[in-house]
Amino acid sequence: MTAIYALYSEPADVQKAVDNLRAAGVPEREIVVISGEPIEEYEFSHRDKASWLYWIASAGGIAGLTFGTWLTRMTELAWPLQTGNMPIVSWWPNLIVMFELTMLGGILATVVALFITAKIPSREPKLYDPAVTDGRILVGVQNPSGATLPAVERALTIGGGAELKRS
Amino acid sequence: MSEASSRKLSEDLLRPLLETSWRFYALVAFLGSIVLMGLVTWAYQMFNGFGVTGINNPIFWAFYITNFVFWIGISHAGTLISAILRLVNAGWRRPVTRCAEVITAFALMIGAMFPLIHLGRPWLFFWLMPYPNSRQIWPNFRSPLVWDFFAISTYLTGSVLFLVLPMIPDFALVRDRTTGWRHRVYGTLALGWQGTTKQWHRLETAMQIMAIAIIPVAVSVHTIVSFDFSMAVVPGWHSTIFGPYFVAGAIFSGIAALIIAMAALRKVLHLEDYLHPVHFQNLGKLLLMMSLLWAYFVFSERLTSWYGNGTSEMAVFWALQRGSYAPLYWTMVICNFVIPFPILALRQTRTIAGCVTASCFVVVGMWLERFLIVVPSLGHKYLPYSWGPYRPSPVEIMIMISTFAAMALLYTLFSKFVPIISIWELKVGEHPFPAETPAEIKEHPLWQVRP
Amino acid sequence: MPHRWGMAVDLDTCTGCGACVTACHAENNIPTVGPEQAARGRAMHWLRVERYWEGDFPDVRLKFRPVMCQQCDAAPCEPVCPTYASHHTADGLNAQVYNRCIGTRYCANACPYNVRFFEFFNPQWPKPLHLQLNPDVSVREVGVMEKCTFCVQRINAASIDAKAEKRELKDGDIKPACVQGCSVKAMAFGDLDDPESEVSRLSRSPRGGKLLDDLGTRPKVTYLARQTQV
Repeated sequence: MTAIYALYSEPADVQKAVDNLRAAGVPEREIVVISGEPIEEYEFSHRDKASWLYWIASAGGIAGLTFGTWLTRMTELAWPLQTGNMPIVSWWPNLIVMFELTMLGGILATVVALFITAKIPSREPKLYDPAVTDGRILVGVQNPSGATLPAVERALTIGGGAELKRS
Repeated sequence: MSEASSRKLSEDLLRPLLETSWRFYALVAFLGSIVLMGLVTWAYQMFNGFGVTGINNPIFWAFYITNFVFWIGISHAGTLISAILRLVNAGWRRPVTRCAEVITAFALMIGAMFPLIHLGRPWLFFWLMPYPNSRQIWPNFRSPLVWDFFAISTYLTGSVLFLVLPMIPDFALVRDRTTGWRHRVYGTLALGWQGTTKQWHRLETAMQIMAIAIIPVAVSVHTIVSFDFSMAVVPGWHSTIFGPYFVAGAIFSGIAALIIAMAALRKVLHLEDYLHPVHFQNLGKLLLMMSLLWAYFVFSERLTSWYGNGTSEMAVFWALQRGSYAPLYWTMVICNFVIPFPILALRQTRTIAGCVTASCFVVVGMWLERFLIVVPSLGHKYLPYSWGPYRPSPVEIMIMISTFAAMALLYTLFSKFVPIISIWELKVGEHPFPAETPAEIKEHPLWQVRP
Repeated sequence: MPHRWGMAVDLDTCTGCGACVTACHAENNIPTVGPEQAARGRAMHWLRVERYWEGDFPDVRLKFRPVMCQQCDAAPCEPVCPTYASHHTADGLNAQVYNRCIGTRYCANACPYNVRFFEFFNPQWPKPLHLQLNPDVSVREVGVMEKCTFCVQRINAASIDAKAEKRELKDGDIKPACVQGCSVKAMAFGDLDDPESEVSRLSRSPRGGKLLDDLGTRPKVTYLARQTQV
């Protein structure tokens, strides 16, 4: 994996660099911005919003609800034992277990979806610089094709404050 | 924020991980020995039979169930602070969010031990799990104890995930700042986290979803714990108010535990720059509100019992108010309401020390409240011939003490290996206009919540 | 024809002698816990004689009543058991399955009659006391709940005999230990679904009442009120 990237101290510079990269013709998915914390106030941070994660959570919840309904109903009918003059299959107590399994389904679906789409844990080498944890922000292009290299370098070099690196 | 202050923040909050004094080892040894004694006591109980406890006929549930409800109650601290305050965009939650979530996770683990400890045949606890087996039987889903199993499992899973997910970026930070074995271990724990905008978005959305999900789970867990009592036809237990009453009591004791934990951390780990008096004052106001809410619930329940004048209910009522349980009852009222109310209501006394004092009283008072719900009702059921008293045995007391030591030990170990204040969330809080969701960027600055 | 087993106790005839308690202990291998444990409230009398004194000397009135598991038709102890160790049989009995019991003791809390008992220690029968054990009844280990079963071993034995002899069970074929041991024949046992049985007739008696009936447990033991004052 090769990459060209620059480290900036100010988010405003990061926004300029990202815009320059876009103007230089780098596709959106190849632009990588890495920071030590999320920086929501700027546009560059709004790429890759994930509103569909809520749908995954809901789907997980429905899966949990289905499983809970089936589990309680099936087990109560499989070994029907009379207790306390209550019906063998009754909504009131089953709803409680169904509710818990619904929430568990939603939570687990969310976490699994998070891990898959954030690609963690990952095995392949990734673009990273430990200076990010000092508060610098990294803007770079991973695996750039040779022709656009100088364009990318020009885009990343804004007046002052940028360190250009390769890895 | 500037690089210099960002670096200072990271250093301050990483210092507990990187520097260890002899006091840490001494504390761990002390607490660890108490926990060990507790485990030995439990083994003694399992080997010699349940009779070594103070349980008798009719008081079949006492200390262990009291502690069970107490610890599950304490666990509501994290959910309130982390989840609810996150959803309402209260920025002051940022330094305290991980402290609170850690309390939740560990209190749940400890609380979940007690149903095992109180079983007559604990080696068969797994029969509560629904799995296909040759016994030709499934668990009874009508039983509140099986609801407990599902509720606590769900809550524990959710809380641990809610705690661990935001730790990933902090593990990446520690990985970058350390060398040697720490670098390797934290590198593995960081799961290859980079911090791309995509990853941050996924993480924050996942946290938002989990916050929305964990709140109904938390409410349901303590409601289901209250169903252990309200589903039985026992005078004083069979009350419809128990669900909300228990949840309010749980949040009450949880906030108190959180205040105590935060004050201890602030002192021991020198976090005075990050945990300010205003944080304690805000939590103190919440504690005051919960104290009033608790008093309201108790009054509602007492009035209804007294007015209804049912024979068996009144036997329990008078046993609590004037009879053998009266000293404990009035101590509970003083600890939960009479003392905390003035301390927390007056700004002059709502200092860190004041909040911690009030919280200590509340923790004691809430433990007594759990005890006074469980034991007096069992001691005064419908047939007076079978009424009986209860006295805790050394076995039960030792196990109870060891769980408090276990909590302190787990907390100490956690704060040694993980930054107890969520570093990246604190840094976000320092941004000029931090917002939880990008939509707020578009809103007028007047409506933005300042930390 | 399915049976619905019930009992009737005539409090007018009962003298409170306690022979039923002793018979129950002998029949069901109930351990005697000793004076210390009994003082701590752990005596295990599946059937006990409850006594209440009212008034001051010399106007003291005594009330006593043998109380055993009422085998409630709407038993509050059944739904709360997480492992179905406490459940209702087709015969109308509340069964306690020792092997499924993990000892949560919820059933004991839910029982309004306090007729459920817990094995606090492993029972001991030092030799030669082990010879007194009834081979038809299991010995329960520490950590499980137990209670009166209406001598289900005797019910089963009589049912098997009747089946072998190809006849129906007659009223009076089955006598639980307490009924058999009662010195004044104050107790009766039989099929409540058989309108001709003694228990059925007694349960319809104008003197008949049930213990804690208003709780909705639908107990199956009828107590015939005392008419003479002690």
